[in-house]
Amino acid sequence: MSDVNVTTFTIVVILFVIVTGVGFAAVRWRRAEDMLHLNEWGLGGRGFGTFVTWFMLGGDVYTAYTYIAVPALVFGSGSIGFFAVSYTIMVYPIIIIFLPRLWSVSRVHNYITPSDFIRGRYGSRGLSLASAFTGIIALMPYIALQLVGIQAVLTVMGVGTTSNNTFIKDLPLFIAFLVLAVFTYVSGLRAPAAISFIKDTLVYVMVIVAVFYIPTRLGGWGHIFGTAEAHFTSINPATKKPYGTFVPTSGVTGSTQLDFATLALGSAIALFLYPHTITGTLAAKRRYVVRRNTALLPIYSILLGLIALLGYMAITDKTTAAEVKKAGNAQLAVPYLFQHMFSPWFAGVAFAAIIIGALVPAAIMAIAAANLFTRNIFTEFFKPDASPRLQTKVSQWASFVVKIGALYFAVELPHTFAINLQLLGGVWILQLGPMLIGGLFTRWFDRYALLLGWLAGMAFGTIAAYKSASPTVSHWASSSDIEFGHTVYIGLSALIINLVIAVILTVIFRAAKVPQGADETLPHQYTADPADLPAPTPVGIGLGAAEAGTAGAGTAGDLSRGRPAPLPDGVHAPGPLPDGVHAPAPSGAGAKNIDGRHMTIGHLGNGLPSCVEGIASLQ
Amino acid sequence: MTQPPVQSRSSSGSRSPVAAHPVISAVIAVLIIACIAGTLFVPIYARTVPKVGDFPFFYFYLLAYMPVVAVVLWIVVQLQKKLGPPGGQPANPGEVAK
Repeated sequence: MSDVNVTTFTIVVILFVIVTGVGFAAVRWRRAEDMLHLNEWGLGGRGFGTFVTWFMLGGDVYTAYTYIAVPALVFGSGSIGFFAVSYTIMVYPIIIIFLPRLWSVSRVHNYITPSDFIRGRYGSRGLSLASAFTGIIALMPYIALQLVGIQAVLTVMGVGTTSNNTFIKDLPLFIAFLVLAVFTYVSGLRAPAAISFIKDTLVYVMVIVAVFYIPTRLGGWGHIFGTAEAHFTSINPATKKPYGTFVPTSGVTGSTQLDFATLALGSAIALFLYPHTITGTLAAKRRYVVRRNTALLPIYSILLGLIALLGYMAITDKTTAAEVKKAGNAQLAVPYLFQHMFSPWFAGVAFAAIIIGALVPAAIMAIAAANLFTRNIFTEFFKPDASPRLQTKVSQWASFVVKIGALYFAVELPHTFAINLQLLGGVWILQLGPMLIGGLFTRWFDRYALLLGWLAGMAFGTIAAYKSASPTVSHWASSSDIEFGHTVYIGLSALIINLVIAVILTVIFRAAKVPQGADETLPHQYTADPADLPAPTPVGIGLGAAEAGTAGAGTAGDLSRGRPAPLPDGVHAPGPLPDGVHAPAPSGAGAKNIDGRHMTIGHLGNGLPSCVEGIASLQ
Repeated sequence: MTQPPVQSRSSSGSRSPVAAHPVISAVIAVLIIACIAGTLFVPIYARTVPKVGDFPFFYFYLLAYMPVVAVVLWIVVQLQKKLGPPGGQPANPGEVAK
């Protein structure tokens, strides 16, 4: 800790302490009658309005990995990193199509996780388990990367790098994470929601100051773009190829326009398949809150466009560029840039913004993963009669375990490994597209066909990512590979395979009259807008009946023991039983093509900021 | 067991909002597709000239397109309001697909 700047360090510590206080105090915010209910702990009481939702989703979607990895990719490879900007533009017109429907049906049936919906829609425990499993394994490395982002900042601050002992070396990280774990345990989703106000404010201040101030130090935007263009068009002696691209090329391989577009489209579709973004969405109070936010959240994306440009500023600043090259870690580009450009106290503000910007999404991700485990694995397969109180307890502990696991990832494994897993996580989560987005619009797909399509997509995506090589790395080199002579995003290819198999097998299975399973949702529930909370806080039992009902026979018993649940669904269908024992809607034929809108998933893909390419190009 | 609200029981088989407002629905569809297409078709903007201020066209376009999408989506949200009954009411009560 010898070369730590005291001012910077003090500011970071002060802001961290404030955030910790807010995290613990959040448990009193909109105080629930019974915190030990998954709707309360896991979804913040499902009562967030437009304003809170905007802050929380913004805090949820734009993670430290975004602040660190997107500029890192831009720093390393140039224009391809701007796919992230295109993707955050595209994501909102895409989610406006399906997210309000997911909110409505989840509200009516008191679904807490996306896998709850899949369970209810297809009457398939297997499909629900597959989706929960996918969600959890995709979230783990994502959380780990939040830690990697924090580590990047701590490294540049000079904190804890002097010892060879892992524990001492990463002590600040342990402290940050322990605090995060404890306030998540106590306050649930309320904690990140409350902290996101501070986080977003700090990030806005940081970015606005950075984009107005830093260019004045570096000779203006003209000089910044000029330097970047010269750098990326010059030839790297090691590979005999240009360092990167300044605009996507019109060629067929490399950082092409097609690669750019498929990465952006895939990532855009994937973003709201991630359980943590769905958790943020389901916490909204009303349907219009979700819709409005699809129009308000792009304001954040402007921020991302500006953040991406920090990568070019880092190239332009000679000192920063030299230090990053020396460290061989593009992730350090932004922290070093801030350290050199800002006065110590403002560097402290900026570093705190990044650290807090990592904690908020990490908390929501841990909650989302914990909810998946509790609802779709623990309750579904091991304890169907788990009371809401028990479910909440399990979720609280699961969130703890998930974070410990992520911490292990971040500390023990090489960072490239965590980043590879994150790359894969994007490919994997995208494979939920047909069952989740498809299921919101049509019940045509056969559940077994979806399961096999999912399996094929997962297998193809994993193998293709493993096999992708570059001049410097033999495996996991990139999130894109070459299909039919063109560089495209792996997640997209995998999704197309997934979808084609699902369609073909559905046709076959339907012809063979394979049983379709019960569908407990009704068409009008996808556009419903119940004002009342589904089963606000029925302590101890019965939970949001509909949800419990999905868990099958065991739960039905549980329900009958419970007192009448206070009508979970604001707008219940003619069906007399709001709960468990739903009269299954006529599956298949009856339920398809709801309200005339067919989901046409032409092609999808994904790939959260895979900065592997950026890093590879540095090595 | 608590009864569902009265509205939800109304059995009038109202048509789906899309069928009831074909023009508005079409406009919404066009706007959404345009938003996506404008950034999905990279050849539109993958070039350095013309420069806008100091910004090469590629970068200017991406940054400028974002607020445009925000405004267009806001219009979409307003249009969607016309499709269904206002906020407090359950949308298309009792409607069941054929």
